[in-house]
Amino acid sequence: MLHLLKVDLKKMTSYRTFWVICGLYFLTLGFTTASGMEILKWLASKGAEFGASININRIPLYHFPDIWQNLIWISGLFKIVLAVMVVISITNEYQYRTIRQNIIDGLSRWEFLQSKILTNVLLSLMSVVMILSIALVTGFIYTPTIEWDYFFMGAEFFVAYFLEIFAFLSYALMLGIFIQRSGLTIVLLMLSHMIEAIIKVNIFRSGVEDQIGWLKQFFPLESITNLVPLPFARYALQEIQDYVALSAVAIALVWTILFNYFAYLKLKRADI
Amino acid sequence: METVLSIHKLTKNFGKLCAVNQLDLEVKRGQVFGMLGPNGSGKTTTLGMLMGVVNPTSGSFSWFGEPATHHTRKKIGAVLEHPIFYPYLSGQKNLELNAMIKGADPNNIPKVLETVELTSRKDDKYRTYSLGMKQRLAIASALVSDPIILILDEPTNGLDPMGIAEIREIIKKIAADGKTIILASHLLDEVQKVCTHFAVLKRGTLMHLGPVDDVGKGEEIVEVQAYHDDLGVLLQEFAGSATIKKDNGLFQVMMKDGFHSKDLNRFLFDKGIVASHLATRKKSLEKQFLEILADTKH
Repeated sequence: MLHLLKVDLKKMTSYRTFWVICGLYFLTLGFTTASGMEILKWLASKGAEFGASININRIPLYHFPDIWQNLIWISGLFKIVLAVMVVISITNEYQYRTIRQNIIDGLSRWEFLQSKILTNVLLSLMSVVMILSIALVTGFIYTPTIEWDYFFMGAEFFVAYFLEIFAFLSYALMLGIFIQRSGLTIVLLMLSHMIEAIIKVNIFRSGVEDQIGWLKQFFPLESITNLVPLPFARYALQEIQDYVALSAVAIALVWTILFNYFAYLKLKRADI
Repeated sequence: METVLSIHKLTKNFGKLCAVNQLDLEVKRGQVFGMLGPNGSGKTTTLGMLMGVVNPTSGSFSWFGEPATHHTRKKIGAVLEHPIFYPYLSGQKNLELNAMIKGADPNNIPKVLETVELTSRKDDKYRTYSLGMKQRLAIASALVSDPIILILDEPTNGLDPMGIAEIREIIKKIAADGKTIILASHLLDEVQKVCTHFAVLKRGTLMHLGPVDDVGKGEEIVEVQAYHDDLGVLLQEFAGSATIKKDNGLFQVMMKDGFHSKDLNRFLFDKGIVASHLATRKKSLEKQFLEILADTKH
């Protein structure tokens, strides 16, 4: 297993595009999640110009335990960048036909796919570690008094976050294996949410929404989004879902397995 | 002799097109096996199936007497069609990656780079290489795992004459080590020079299979030239002449059974003519190849 990961990393670590995209991803991810207070201050100053006063100290954006879900939800927006990297990695193998040589050299098709999946796991884990570190540092800075009883409340969002990233990267990998051309794959990847939304709108017309609306959660991209619900409405005194729904995890997990399984089937049957 | 590769009724259809049709073939240890055939005759498709990148429609094959898996592929060094490498990696890094996949010792890399004379360019990116260098790197990658069997598909494509001669030497050297080589090529001259056995494919069907030494067996062609105006007429009087052709200013006399060049020499001498050129020619593989393909009209 580790050997296969090393094979894929060997391909990537001398590839400048990989470093540029990963660098941009982790930099923007880091800076965005770490500068939430600055953004709030900016919003407050803008608000002050219009005569509305916002007391930013009453918004516990970075307070334990709110911080977990807040930062993780924001971080989820950046996963598209990693997914583009995954698409480039797999479509390069088709464009340069190196997938063919890898298999001639003695990788099985399943091993080839595994090497890509393992890199996806690694990238997802690195995102988790990154956000965990930022959350810990900023949390300790901004939380006025730490209540240890509630400290880990919502820390299970990291499991959901890992799955959110990994599921989306699995989707990107599958798309790359089916389409094989980088440009088209990236465009489809970007449009995926919109395409799914259009399908949903047409299926769940107003007449039938009441009866079959619950089916929406089973759509692949929606299932990924449902893992970490939007937290910020709570600061407008609204009720939010501040826990990870087991059903959401189960559905997203099944989709993740399916994405990788479809990729495997396609690889197995194709002449490369 | 131990069988290295055994192919049984291997077939590949691409839609309606039958690229390889019921192919039966055996390659024994130590053979240098030439696969010949015009473009589109199914050579590369066959090799693709043997190396696991093309799924056979039906039929089977076994390497080293066992059903083929990706583990058996690690014992084979293969380059199909044209060299394939990561353009943004250096030659050295590409070979390291090949060695990793094959489970080969990376300490072999300097040696194989030396064999193909790429040591001085090993740290340059692959995309900066010339076609000849790419071909040579491909051979290096096939050699890196010290394989028992080597598969080369058009290894001299695009090389200059010196490069072709070098590759020929490399192939001979590897063959002398007792390695088995399967060589697909258009260059019949090449095959005749290095191969022990050969097969001819046409539209996916096996047309001929046999040792290269058998080429032209039973027929002797003698090339002759002398300073005599009516040499052609005179040669027809020779009892051993089957057919006479003039080619490039030389007469080519196909001998009847039991006649040899010395008989022709004596005949000319008796007529008072001294030959300025006299050479025995075997029928070339090229000629035999064209005959095989022409014989059977499909």
